[in-house]
Amino acid sequence: MKDKIRNFIAETTFTEPELIKDETMIFDEGIFDSMGLLSLINFLEEEFGVITDDTELIEENFGNVERIAAFVERKKAAVAS
Amino acid sequence: MKDAKKTAFSRHVLKLKNIDEVIDNICTQLKEDVGKRFRRKGGVVGISGGIDSSVTLALAVKAFGADKVLGVLLPENDSSPDSKEFALKLAEKFGIRTVEENISGALDGFGCYRRRDEAVKRVVSEYDPAVDKMKIVIPEDIIKRNLPPVHYVTVVFQDGSEKTVRLPMNEYLQIVAASNFKQRSRMSMLYYHAEALHYCVIGTPNKHEVQQGFFVKYGDGAADVMPIGNLYKTQVYELAEYMGVPKEIIERTPTTDTYSAEQTQEEFFYQMPFGEMDLLWYGWENGYPPEEVATVMGLTEEDVMRIFKNFERKKQTTEYLRTPPVHGYYGV
Repeated sequence: MKDKIRNFIAETTFTEPELIKDETMIFDEGIFDSMGLLSLINFLEEEFGVITDDTELIEENFGNVERIAAFVERKKAAVAS
Repeated sequence: MKDAKKTAFSRHVLKLKNIDEVIDNICTQLKEDVGKRFRRKGGVVGISGGIDSSVTLALAVKAFGADKVLGVLLPENDSSPDSKEFALKLAEKFGIRTVEENISGALDGFGCYRRRDEAVKRVVSEYDPAVDKMKIVIPEDIIKRNLPPVHYVTVVFQDGSEKTVRLPMNEYLQIVAASNFKQRSRMSMLYYHAEALHYCVIGTPNKHEVQQGFFVKYGDGAADVMPIGNLYKTQVYELAEYMGVPKEIIERTPTTDTYSAEQTQEEFFYQMPFGEMDLLWYGWENGYPPEEVATVMGLTEEDVMRIFKNFERKKQTTEYLRTPPVHGYYGV
């Protein structure tokens, strides 16, 4: 899952995937901006069926690949239970 | 480390010390640029009844003389009626000629309203553009989330009730792209008048608009000169008071005058009052330590650091808007 997220970010931003580590802060590092965030929300919905609520739009969920993957896992687990 | 010569950060650090000198310097430079450098005979200013275009007009009149300045009113279907009233009052005060150009027909031709409303209806199906109004907002608490802003559309229904929905990417982009026809149509009309008179277009963006990218590329961001482009908003207000801009204009809350529902610039873009933003931007731009700024502003150091980070992000992500066409790809 992390690689899918990483590749999406890399393709969207013309960045080499290996430059995006699990812990790279994608917004602080200027890799993604607000359009990137919107495209990421779309991507999570299309790829993993995860719909992001307004209150979930926080750095703890979207700051880096690690956090995004954990967020997706939590959302999928919540739906499954 | 802080520069030893730097003025101590205070709430008065931006107050203009010699306002006559500031005005004289701007007007001398304006005359030099428009008359000598660009060899034009005067200036055209799009007047919206807002504070920025009013001060720009006052400066142009002082620089060139009232007979060499044309004020252009550019209303369209969504304009507030106040805009015209205030713009005419301003023109009367400074004794300039005006021309009114309603750009609604041009905007219809471009499909501006239709394209925008189609996108709004995709997210708020009950929206009826014939009777309801809409605007785009950023929630107040967004800056605390440490993420770039996402935009919401608010539909104000005929009965006064409201519905606010987060905009998906495609709809957000379509609404903005369609709405930008307004600023670009205004620009085309301003250049028509400027060229017909052999004048320059005098642009109205202030420092925040330029630096934070709150303008439309080749729309209100297109002009020959921008006399207030390096002035903070509170300094623009100082000039307005000093130069005799009508009181109603000074007291009016700055709006975007872009969407059908009334929308302040603060709720659409800046997310904080101008007085605070001016000082914080000044502090950030001049490298003041967050703890020094925090003490003066009555904020925590963490708050200031978050705001500084947000400024940095905004400046970086809007670089595209400030960059002219890149052409040096081949050859010397």
